[in-house]
Amino acid sequence: MRETEARSPVAIALIIGVLGYAALLFIAPLLAMINGAFAKGLEPLLATFQDPSVIHAFQVTLLLSFAAVVINTLLGLTTAWVLVRHRFRGRNLFDTLVDIPFVFSPVIAGYAMIVLFGRNGWLAPPLFPIVFAFPGILLAKVFVSLPFIIREVQPVLEALTPEPEDAAYTIGASRWTTFRRVVLPEIWTALLYGIVLTFARAIGEFGAVTVISGNIEGYTETATSFVFRALNDRNNTGAYGVSVLLCLFSVVILIAMNALRGRIIHKEP
Amino acid sequence: MTQIPLSYPTGQGAVAVKRAQAPSFGAWGLRFIALTYLGAFILVPLIVIQVQGVRFGLDVFWQSITRPEATSAILLSLYTSAIMAALNTVIGTLTAYVLVRYRFPGKRLFNMLIDLPFAIPTLVIGVMLVLLYGPQTPIGRFFDTTLDIQILFAVPGIVLALLLVGYPFVIRAVQPVLLQMDFSQTEAAQTIGASAWTTFWRVIFPALRPAIVTGALLSFARSLGEFGSIIVVAGNIPMRSQMGTVYVYTQVEAGNLQAASSVSMVLLLIAFGVTVGIDLLKWRRHA
Amino acid sequence: MARLRLGLFTLIVFIVSTFAPVAAQDAAPPITLTLAGYAVPREAYGDIIPLFQSYWQEQTGQQVIVLESYQASGAQSRAVASGFEADVIALSLQPDIQSLVDAGLVSADWKEDNDYQGFATQSLVVLAVRPDNPRGILDWADLAQEDIEIITPDPATSGGAQWNILAAAGAAQRGFVAGYEGESGGAKFLRALIGNIAVLDRDGRESFLTFERGIGDVAITYENEVYAGLAVGGEYSLIYPTSTILIENPVAVVDSYVDLHGTREVAEAFVNFLWSPDAQRAFANRGFRPVNPLVRVEYGIADADVEVTPDPQAAPAVVERNPDITFPAVTDLFTIAEFGGWSEARPAYFSEEGIFTQIIAEAQGG
Repeated sequence: MRETEARSPVAIALIIGVLGYAALLFIAPLLAMINGAFAKGLEPLLATFQDPSVIHAFQVTLLLSFAAVVINTLLGLTTAWVLVRHRFRGRNLFDTLVDIPFVFSPVIAGYAMIVLFGRNGWLAPPLFPIVFAFPGILLAKVFVSLPFIIREVQPVLEALTPEPEDAAYTIGASRWTTFRRVVLPEIWTALLYGIVLTFARAIGEFGAVTVISGNIEGYTETATSFVFRALNDRNNTGAYGVSVLLCLFSVVILIAMNALRGRIIHKEP
Repeated sequence: MTQIPLSYPTGQGAVAVKRAQAPSFGAWGLRFIALTYLGAFILVPLIVIQVQGVRFGLDVFWQSITRPEATSAILLSLYTSAIMAALNTVIGTLTAYVLVRYRFPGKRLFNMLIDLPFAIPTLVIGVMLVLLYGPQTPIGRFFDTTLDIQILFAVPGIVLALLLVGYPFVIRAVQPVLLQMDFSQTEAAQTIGASAWTTFWRVIFPALRPAIVTGALLSFARSLGEFGSIIVVAGNIPMRSQMGTVYVYTQVEAGNLQAASSVSMVLLLIAFGVTVGIDLLKWRRHA
Repeated sequence: MARLRLGLFTLIVFIVSTFAPVAAQDAAPPITLTLAGYAVPREAYGDIIPLFQSYWQEQTGQQVIVLESYQASGAQSRAVASGFEADVIALSLQPDIQSLVDAGLVSADWKEDNDYQGFATQSLVVLAVRPDNPRGILDWADLAQEDIEIITPDPATSGGAQWNILAAAGAAQRGFVAGYEGESGGAKFLRALIGNIAVLDRDGRESFLTFERGIGDVAITYENEVYAGLAVGGEYSLIYPTSTILIENPVAVVDSYVDLHGTREVAEAFVNFLWSPDAQRAFANRGFRPVNPLVRVEYGIADADVEVTPDPQAAPAVVERNPDITFPAVTDLFTIAEFGGWSEARPAYFSEEGIFTQIIAEAQGG
């Protein structure tokens, strides 16, 4: 469909309506939150960002989210490959499983972990503390962000024609080299897009973490847990400030998503 | 190819396995890794939930999901998610249409902002909404005193939060389809004198319908599991403003693991049924 | 390629080492103590912990790091039972500690040898209303009016909520709620009250914050919680009902975990410190009624037959009295004994067949 100038009153009404809705729905609240963060002035806001427990919360969030991204990238790529290229009984079942974290309440994921690894859990006692400690938070983040890379890479893998890879094999390239030089460039954009989505989801995770981390302030608290705690502490500047910072991360993620999405769309046949 | 980040069909459309010789260990190794990954992270929690749900027998399971609070929570989730999906369908389609069809200042920025609900933590979404529409804000007070509608901590607030969370789904499902739409058909319709509305309804809309349905169903399924924003904006009164996910959370915190598991299973089955439905729709289209 | 592998290896080692368990600390290096508290005393402990840290430093030369976690009493108790390795636990009501005794984490004699039966602080169930009290709420009976919106937390998770409900029922039972006197009056009054609840939050803190955000006409809450809000500029009036329940908050050392972590000495010292005059003053400054008789006198709580002679040898108070806090007496003060203790009250009111649970299902179901 070709773009046209908006001339008719219908067109203008539509544009205003659509933009107005978006403004009411999230642009205005976002601005309100930025306003709230600065409500008591710049000083308290800066103090928030220098608060050791805030810094620690961000460290925890970013480090564990990054680890979750690494895990989900390596294992997710493998899974996408296996789901597309292998045929075995039960493959369709496993394929449908991938969507589960998307619709599974994260609270339940956290609670399942407690059932498994908690004090009287099925797999207790674990070698090292899992629940109410960092490994548990990591598992939660891996779980909630699991589907994205797989679902982004799968269709691209499916659409690949076999010729380039076959050609590589016939000239003696190993599987790994073929993957690295023939397949990876093709799926790279989709993979990056999936990574960005995974990272966003892992950072934003709250439900499972709230159940499983014990929310030990300055220790297992994540950035989102901090926001929740700050609200309860009547520390509105802290809550809004950290929220705004999280939104900044989101905006960076957004820009990345947008750039990659544009490349994906333009790459399509 | 749709740009929704989920649910693609596999199987029949898949490319044939490589013909070159590959060490079978490698293939099995990969398969093992992939299946262990999925098994550990997805199957295991599912099994845990199921076992916890039915551990006292099926009659107790049935009881725990037919308790008034449980049923009410599940129904509230379904009801609010459905309203949200319906609203989102209309608004999302129109938004996608506007984005593709017209030029206007700020369009690129707007297009980028559409994904914001994907990227922001859900808890922050809830905080944002309370800040602007809460009972002590001008807007919240206006609605409360003048129109006697309580936004936050009541059903409208829940729908509002879900609308925010589900905002990008329909838009991003419909956009690519519109972008690749064959322009000649609409032009043809207009040369024979069809109005803009007729053109839209008769020519464009039918082609969009599968994408719209997919997007709407996805946002519906997503809402059933939504927690972070709801916990901040909903009132949590059992049987009045308690959503399924919050009910599950309360039961977990209250130590009623069996009740939490059974209601989770119900919510999960419904949401899962919806995603399978989406997959089936795709199968039909590709077949 | 080799560099990539090395980089990957280093990354993995780094990540894995982040998760390596923190070994139990030896004597000289700093020792870490984990405190799991219920929702509302976070500010009070924020004041007390530095006092304890300097006290411990003076006594042993060792630095103690205190990690804190606060959430609803019931939820916190369950978290500890499922593996949250807290060393000290401070909860809203005794049964939440008892469940840890039953789980084998706290020894059965946790409050023996303690002059205060393990209770570090007291409070009262009170009402908070909007500044000019437009609905004219003066006592329990007013909460049964049509159209009043009540804020109270959810007893399923919150200890404070249980105190609230029992305070209401008890006041009615003891004849202080007009129109709902007597044994059956309690349940009747609860029915009227529960029908008016607008929001059920997870814990006492969240509940009162909801009230602060403008929802509801009256909040039923802890006396100390209202003081906490007033301290940061909240605008509402504190109303003492004519009859209310005495809240007693227990503290205990979690024996299994302190032995696991090697923190028993510090943990026991911390818990004992909570009864020291300065810690009690710190609690009092945040609106928690102290249990130490000396401090009670200082803050104007008159106890009928207790003679307190200030000890001239005692260390001077480090903590100054907060002039904004007063602890008035109420006309009728009863305890959990009114209901035969928690072992009777809890099942009777908050179990599946409990009065509260039943009424909620009925009232909201319409």
